[in-house]
Amino acid sequence: MSTATDSRGMFGLALRRFRRHRLALGSAAALVVLAVLAVAAPLVEAALGVDSGVVDLFNRFAPATAAHPLGTDELGRDVLVRLLYGGRVSLLVGLVTALAAAVIGTIVGLIAGFYGGRVDGLLMRFTDGVIALPLLPLLIVLAALDLEKVGLPAAFVQSENVSLYRIIAIVALVGWTTVARLVRGAALTLREADFVLAAHAQGAGALRIMAVHILPNLISPIIVATTLSVGSVILLESVLSFLGLGIQPPIPSWGNLLTNAQELIWTAPALAFYPGILIFVTVIAFNFLGDGLQDALDPKAMEGR
Amino acid sequence: MTRFLATRVAQSVIVLALMSFAIYALIGLMPGDPIDLMISADPKMTPEDAARLRALYGVDKPVVERYANWLMAALGGDLGYSRLYAAPVLDVLLPALGNTLILLGLTLVLSLAIGLPAGVVAALRPYSRTDYAINLFAFAGISVPAFWLGLLLIIVFAVILGVLPAGGTETVGGAGFWDQAKYLVLPVVNLTLASVGGHTRYMRAAMMETLRQDYIRTARAKGAGRARVVLGHALRNAMIPVVTIIALQFGYLFSGALITETIFAYPGMGKLIFDSIMGNDFNLALVALLFATLVTLVGNLLADVAYAWLDPRIAYR
Amino acid sequence: MTAGPSPETPLLEVQGLVKHFPAGGGGLFAADTGTVRAVDGVSFRLGRGETLALVGESGCGKTTLARTVALLYAPTAGSVRFQGRELTGLGRRDLKPARRRIQMIFQDPYSSLNPRLPVGAIIAEPLVIHGLGGRAEQRDRVAMLARQVGLGAADMDRYPHQFSGGQRQRIAIARALAVEPSLVIADEPVSALDVSIQSQVLNLMRDLQAAHGLTYLFISHDLAVVRHFADRVAVMYLGRIVEEAPADALFADPRHPYTRALIAAQPVVGRGKRRPGDVLPGDIPSPLRPPPGCAFHPRCPLAADICRQSAPALEAAGGEAGHRAACHFKDEAGP
Repeated sequence: MSTATDSRGMFGLALRRFRRHRLALGSAAALVVLAVLAVAAPLVEAALGVDSGVVDLFNRFAPATAAHPLGTDELGRDVLVRLLYGGRVSLLVGLVTALAAAVIGTIVGLIAGFYGGRVDGLLMRFTDGVIALPLLPLLIVLAALDLEKVGLPAAFVQSENVSLYRIIAIVALVGWTTVARLVRGAALTLREADFVLAAHAQGAGALRIMAVHILPNLISPIIVATTLSVGSVILLESVLSFLGLGIQPPIPSWGNLLTNAQELIWTAPALAFYPGILIFVTVIAFNFLGDGLQDALDPKAMEGR
Repeated sequence: MTRFLATRVAQSVIVLALMSFAIYALIGLMPGDPIDLMISADPKMTPEDAARLRALYGVDKPVVERYANWLMAALGGDLGYSRLYAAPVLDVLLPALGNTLILLGLTLVLSLAIGLPAGVVAALRPYSRTDYAINLFAFAGISVPAFWLGLLLIIVFAVILGVLPAGGTETVGGAGFWDQAKYLVLPVVNLTLASVGGHTRYMRAAMMETLRQDYIRTARAKGAGRARVVLGHALRNAMIPVVTIIALQFGYLFSGALITETIFAYPGMGKLIFDSIMGNDFNLALVALLFATLVTLVGNLLADVAYAWLDPRIAYR
Repeated sequence: MTAGPSPETPLLEVQGLVKHFPAGGGGLFAADTGTVRAVDGVSFRLGRGETLALVGESGCGKTTLARTVALLYAPTAGSVRFQGRELTGLGRRDLKPARRRIQMIFQDPYSSLNPRLPVGAIIAEPLVIHGLGGRAEQRDRVAMLARQVGLGAADMDRYPHQFSGGQRQRIAIARALAVEPSLVIADEPVSALDVSIQSQVLNLMRDLQAAHGLTYLFISHDLAVVRHFADRVAVMYLGRIVEEAPADALFADPRHPYTRALIAAQPVVGRGKRRPGDVLPGDIPSPLRPPPGCAFHPRCPLAADICRQSAPALEAAGGEAGHRAACHFKDEAGP
């Protein structure tokens, strides 16, 4: 099939691909650098010869020096190392939450798209309902719940990492809608495909058709939607942590590093700058990456039409 | 049309009823209960007193029964008393709701006024330099943490330049429209910057999709001018999906309001919800959350009506 | 050849089959509710080892008929009896044994194979679904089937996109034969292929029919293909069979004006690209609102008052046994 394409159209397409790819590639590179730095936080700490856990009240708000490349915070701790440790938590929580949300969204979208009709109508009304709710206020309620009253064992509730698990659970609970909608749309198309009809004609059960014939063909939209939702998940985590409802100190996260920033804007505005710019760069990088992947994996784009 | 409206209103009422129970049950799972608060306020209280009080206030009853009691009282106009503000809940709520609606209204107008034209311009010259710049700006808006943006705005305009107030609604003593307007600038700018990116992207996508349609090509082939095609044919059709998405964004905007209001100490619903939850003011938190849900649902409903009005093909069934 | 039970019990017997779809339900036609009468009362029998071709223009309901016979769609009314057993109204589990014996080949070999499965797994899929044999047995059977359709053992680890259209259709045929079916419903199996490939695939299908004693229900819009491939031909128009006859009789002495038009519309020599129906005035009417009386009357050169008022029944016509036509003027000499 050779469709006549004028040279300008061809050039435009190539230019578009190139730009998209450049942004997406740059984003991927930035994310890798961030992740490597975050993973290497203890090494950086050792290399600088500082201990980010130690409070040094004689050395508060120190300016940037060789030992403290970004200075120290209100308790005299090294800002750079704290940022890297915060990055570990924020990135990990973002990825795990997005994956959890992707699992929920895939199940909802797959069922809605495969069955269609009433099931689809019901599930999509529900999804629209979740999207339309004032989510942040509700997340704040969920984040403030007394987990012992919910019925979780006291030992778990008092453990240090419970704020991590809690934030992953509640953000995943509201973050699945993007994946669900994309997966549902793709599944609705796939269920009409002849190879799915062929499986029906063989007498395959619903589960087998979904698992063997539909799900493997949904990988692209799932990857795209998951990548895109990492950004929004990190944003939600950071705002909840900023408000004091997400990840609890002493575990550092980019969000809770900003908790005290508002009181400090008159004395040390730079402290309010660093964690935010890291959140911003991470989120925009995931969004560019998701957008680039969408272009690259979109079958229509691959056909070059 | 009437039947369509009636169905949608009925649906919204059902959602509101379900949400009211869900929120009521969730609030019951928050740390402490009203009696715990009384105990902490009065150290002389014995455990027996506490048990008697619990029975008196019905705190020991199952959640469904307590909810039914609360609902009956609420429907009778008694929404309870705010512990934090020492005033009836409604007296606290209504002024806050007014403030939030001012904030949201101004933001919506401003971000649509910027986002929609930007999206159209980008769609008209896809993959051009202009489109590229607009896209970058839109992605930045979507990706920026709103609370951090707020902090930056305060640092720049209040701390460094000192031209705008960092928070509040009016100068103590000083009054007047212009004084209050000054306090609105940063919150509105903050919320607008956080929502305009989404509007731009949606408008661009919808417009590009519409311009790809056959009837647009036909109109162009017939020799209709570019402006005429864009404004007369494409825009109206492209607006349809955009309106629905803006409707779904209403809840998102409300979430943004919570952040912005907290950062700028702006006494609206968002800050009220946050403060009431953090301050264990259960009556206020419950009603405020419900009002937020109600406002969101009404926003969605209005957008549905606008959708039906814009799209002549829709059947009111 | 497997010996059938008796000539009176056909392998497949379809009686008064009806499939209606609700129209609209959202989108452009939301206000325009109605019923699409895709298949509107079709009856036919298919004997063991026979090939029946269903022909008609696109939109006449032949694909819907094929899928309804395969129980992919639940029929609105009518019966489908396979080996004497009623299949309509059965649940998924009760249908499964019959599903093994009825296999389908689809028109578009690019969408009928799961792009994420290697070819070996695609051919083995029916065996897995029906729980036939262990892994080793399945692998052996797949290898044997591949050989039968002309594919190599190395091809089994490759993916569908690495094959040409003709090869893909061979894969689809191997998949259909994996579970030893009696009836193969082939929905335009060669119309998406190049003309040079078409005859290869048709020859393969004919060889396999002889080797496995297969019965074919063969859907096509291409009379040239049908003429050489089918024992009997049924012509469909707007959801109904308007003429049915042994292939030779149909081409020698068509009794329905629509059949005559289809035959006349065939490209005479070689590769003319004319589609059947080009010589007929007007378009195929909407199955949402079929015309009253004989559905063909708006396009029929013979149309008279009676055609607008009453629908003709499918009755014996012409000289040969088994030749039937639904036309008020079926016994008059053709133009």
